[in-house]
This record gives sequence, structure tokens and C-alpha cells, in this order.
Amino acid sequence: MVPYLFLAPALVGTIAFKLYPIFIGFWESLIYTSFSGGAEKRIFVWFENYQYLFDDKIFWKSLEITAFLTIIINPLQIAMSLGLALLLMRKSKFIRVIRSLYLLPIGIALPIATIIWGLMLDPNQGLINGLIGVFGIPPQPFLVSENQALWCIIAIATWKGVAFWMLFLLAGLEDIPKQYYEAAEIDGATPFQKFRYVTIPQLKRTILFVFVADTAANFVLMVPMIILTKGGPLQSTNVLIYEGYRSGFYYQDWGRSLSIITILTVITLIVIGLQLLFLSEKNEGIKVK
Amino acid sequence: MIMHFKRQWSVYLWYLVIFVGLIITILPFWWGVAASFKSNSDIFRDLAPINIRAFLPGFSLESYFAIFENDFGRSMLNTFFVSITSVAGGLIINSMAGFAFAQFRFKGDNIIFGFVLLSFAVPADAIAIPLFKMMRQIGWFDTFYALIIPMLANGLIIFLYRQFFLGIPKELIEAARVDGLSWFGVFWRICLPLSVPVTLGAGLLLFVFQWESYLWPLIAAPSPELHLIQVTLGRFSTEYEMIWNQQFAASSIAGFLPLVFIYMFQKQFVSALTGVEQK
Repeated sequence: MVPYLFLAPALVGTIAFKLYPIFIGFWESLIYTSFSGGAEKRIFVWFENYQYLFDDKIFWKSLEITAFLTIIINPLQIAMSLGLALLLMRKSKFIRVIRSLYLLPIGIALPIATIIWGLMLDPNQGLINGLIGVFGIPPQPFLVSENQALWCIIAIATWKGVAFWMLFLLAGLEDIPKQYYEAAEIDGATPFQKFRYVTIPQLKRTILFVFVADTAANFVLMVPMIILTKGGPLQSTNVLIYEGYRSGFYYQDWGRSLSIITILTVITLIVIGLQLLFLSEKNEGIKVK
Repeated sequence: MIMHFKRQWSVYLWYLVIFVGLIITILPFWWGVAASFKSNSDIFRDLAPINIRAFLPGFSLESYFAIFENDFGRSMLNTFFVSITSVAGGLIINSMAGFAFAQFRFKGDNIIFGFVLLSFAVPADAIAIPLFKMMRQIGWFDTFYALIIPMLANGLIIFLYRQFFLGIPKELIEAARVDGLSWFGVFWRICLPLSVPVTLGAGLLLFVFQWESYLWPLIAAPSPELHLIQVTLGRFSTEYEMIWNQQFAASSIAGFLPLVFIYMFQKQFVSALTGVEQK
């Protein structure tokens, strides 16, 4: 009895507010709400909301953008985080200060980063256009351009994200026993070989964790869309999570909204499952030479 | 000789890359803080055409006074209240759960622990919309309850405490039990006082989660009296679109506190987050 008493408050909280909402989300996605004559009427419609999505161009476009964003942003952030972590492993007099300064974006909330970057990328008076102007590059439209807006959001999220994910990789790198590198050096390994046969296998678990967690986080990336682009221009930044949010909060179409969220949740689980499946299997295959 | 030159060269390259990276990391921050101390027209003057003054701080506090006239103080107080209650409540219930997982073997413990870890993997923003519907059903919509209570239970914090409590010697706890201390006494008088480092890290995480949360407070508590700091900030950026100095001032204040805390307790923060003990 005693253990359950200790467990009860956190367990109730976890079930009620973390797990149960997933089921509510799915359940409500099967319901159509009509507002005829001012009265709210709820009708259970099975998978009709999903059927509508199937013929919905906005939804497909949104899915496409989400796929594109996922394919670009996650490898980019992981590569940059890993590169930065490796750079910061070097011994230097100033390494503590340098590391601390690189952690700065972790302390800056995403809305803040979004607002400041939004002003930096302002097409008329922004800092970036001023700076590139010094090099003779003409002013760019950035967030108001269909072709550039998503890239700007990738840049903002990466600025904020790299430091955070780097922290895990740095901790993982520091955990690798120094003897491994010494042994590799005695065997005459080049720096690349050391990276390939010591660092990567030893860091595999951390990289996998970061990759999965980063992917999950980027599937729900929408603060820059809410604050800056509203999914535009011309739906170019209208990712699934934002489309779901907009359907619900702008158009009160909760059936559609929650169908989209449910689909996104399923996609997230599948992608993460695949990552775990493929990447962790490889883990056993590679041996430290 | 050539070897020596080569090594030097790689050091210079390293410094160059690090330096460029630092500029990109710090620039938005630096510019924002510098501009928050300027009048709006000065900000624009320094930008078009761009000159070095854009990166030098001004001396005006005008924007800071202005934001507090625009209800910024209210949202700061709200955020303090919500953050502090969330940290206190979250630390208590999650440490209790961590204690249960570490000290007892009971029916279903592995399954329950699996669920806790699973909940930690669900991104908060994905369940925000269904959770919002739930808040409306139980009448917590647009109240402080909605802002605080759903955020208390946290799989990561439970996990951190469990790991720590597993390391406390069993003999210590058995001795206390023999002396007649209740299980709650063991938890409260022995285990919790030992867990200061975890509590610091976990508390900091909970604080930062709440202080930086945006989407949930935006949808769960739309009344202006309940706005939290990030929500107010987001509102400023649309309502005062052209008043840049106020946006910078509000951002600076909102960003200041988490930064100070994270830098003060950098070791504990990194340990709590990454699970690796910092030297």
C-alpha cells in the first residue's frame, strides 16, 4: 500500500494530463460538431473527418511541408550540434568561457528568440539586410517570401536548438575514456580514423537519443509560425501542427484539428520507431577496432 | 618546421570557426539588449544605413517604463506565481514517485515506470489541444489551475529522483526503519535532505519549463489577467509591431532570469538534463 501512496499524485497527474489527452484527442477526432441555430450539436461520425482530409489540398500541402522540414532540420541540427561539440572538446585556455557563451541560446525561450530574429530578418529595416548590404548583397524578403520563410524558420529553430542538443553530445564525448584514444594513437590511427572507430561507436547511444528527441521536438515546432508567419506566405510554413492548431483555434473545427493532431502523433511514433529500429541495430554491428 | 606550422594553422582555423560561431550565437542577443536601451527612432536611425552604433547600447530607459505601463508587470507576477508553485508542487510529487520506484518492489512497478517514461516522450505541444478540450470540460479553462496542475507530474524529474534515491545505502534506510521512523519520515527526513544536488537541477528544469512555456498558457488561459510572460511577449510583437524598443525591452527582461539561474547552477542544470555528472 505504501508505495502506491507515494506514487499516487504523480501517477494521477501523468495519466490524467499526459496520457489520457492522447485518447481524448483521438476520440474527439471522430466527432463532428455543428453549430446550427446557435446550439452546439455533437455527432459521432467515425472516420469522416479523416476522409475529408484525404481530399483536402491544404492538408496534403501541409504534410509535404512537414516532411520537407523534418528531412532538412533534423540532420542539420544533429550535424551542427555534433560538429560544435567536437570543436568544444579541444583544449584551450578559454574553453570554459567559450563553452558557456555557446550555451546562451538555451536560456533564451523560443518566443524571445523568434521575436528577436523576426526583427533581425525584417525586410525593410532588419539587421541582416543591413549587414549583407555591406557586402553588396541586395536586401532579401526573408519571412515574407514564399521561398525563404521556411528556411528562416529553420535558421531560428537551429540557432535555438543546436546549443541544447550539443549539451548532450558534449556530455557523451566527455564520457568516452581517454585510453581509447591513446590506444588508437599508438596503433597509428589518423584523426579521421579515431573519429570513425572510437568517437562514433562510443557516442552512438547519445546520438540516437538526440536524433529521436530532436525529431519529436521538431514535429511540433510552431512557435515561429504562430508569432511570425501564421503559416504563410502562401502556406509555405504551414506545417501539420500549425494547421491543426489553426483549424481548432481560428475556425473552431475541432474534428479536423484533432484528426490532424492524431495523424501527426501517429507519424511521429512511426518515424521515431523506425529511427530506433534501424539505428540501434547498426549499433551492434560496428565494433571498436 | 612544417609540422609546427601546420599545427599552428589548425589552431588558428579552430579559433576562426569558434569566433564566427560565437558571433552568430551572441549577435541577436547583443543587438536586442543594446537596442532595448534606445528610443525607437534611434534604433531605425542606426540601421539605415547600418553603422557601428547599431551594436552599441543606448542610455534610454523609456522602453522599460513603457512596457510596465502596458501590463508587463502583471504578467511577470503571474509567471513568478505559476513558476514557483509549479516548482514546489512538482518537486514534491515527483520526488515522492521517484522514492517509490527506488525503494519498493510492488505489483506492476515496471509497467508503471514504463508509462512514466512514455509520458516523458510525448511532446507537450502535441497534447495541448486535447488537453485544452479537457480543461473546458472540467471547468479549469482560463484559471491558474490549468496553468499549474497539468504541468506538475514530470517523467524526467521522476526519473532523476529515482536514479538518485537508488544510490542511497539500504543500511541507512533500514536503520531508520528499525528506529521506528515511518516511510514518510524516511523520505522526508533522510532521503530528501540528501538530494540537494538533484533538487537544484530538477527545480531549475521545472522553473525553466514554466518560465519559457508559451503555447499552453496561450491557449489555456486567454484572459489578459492570466497572461504569462511569453504570451505577453508574443502579443507585444503583433500589437506593437513597429515599437521595436519595447519588444526588445520585454524580451530582455523575460530572458534575463532563466539565463542568470542557468549560469549560476550550470553544473546542476547540465547534470539534470543530460544525466551525466559534471566535473
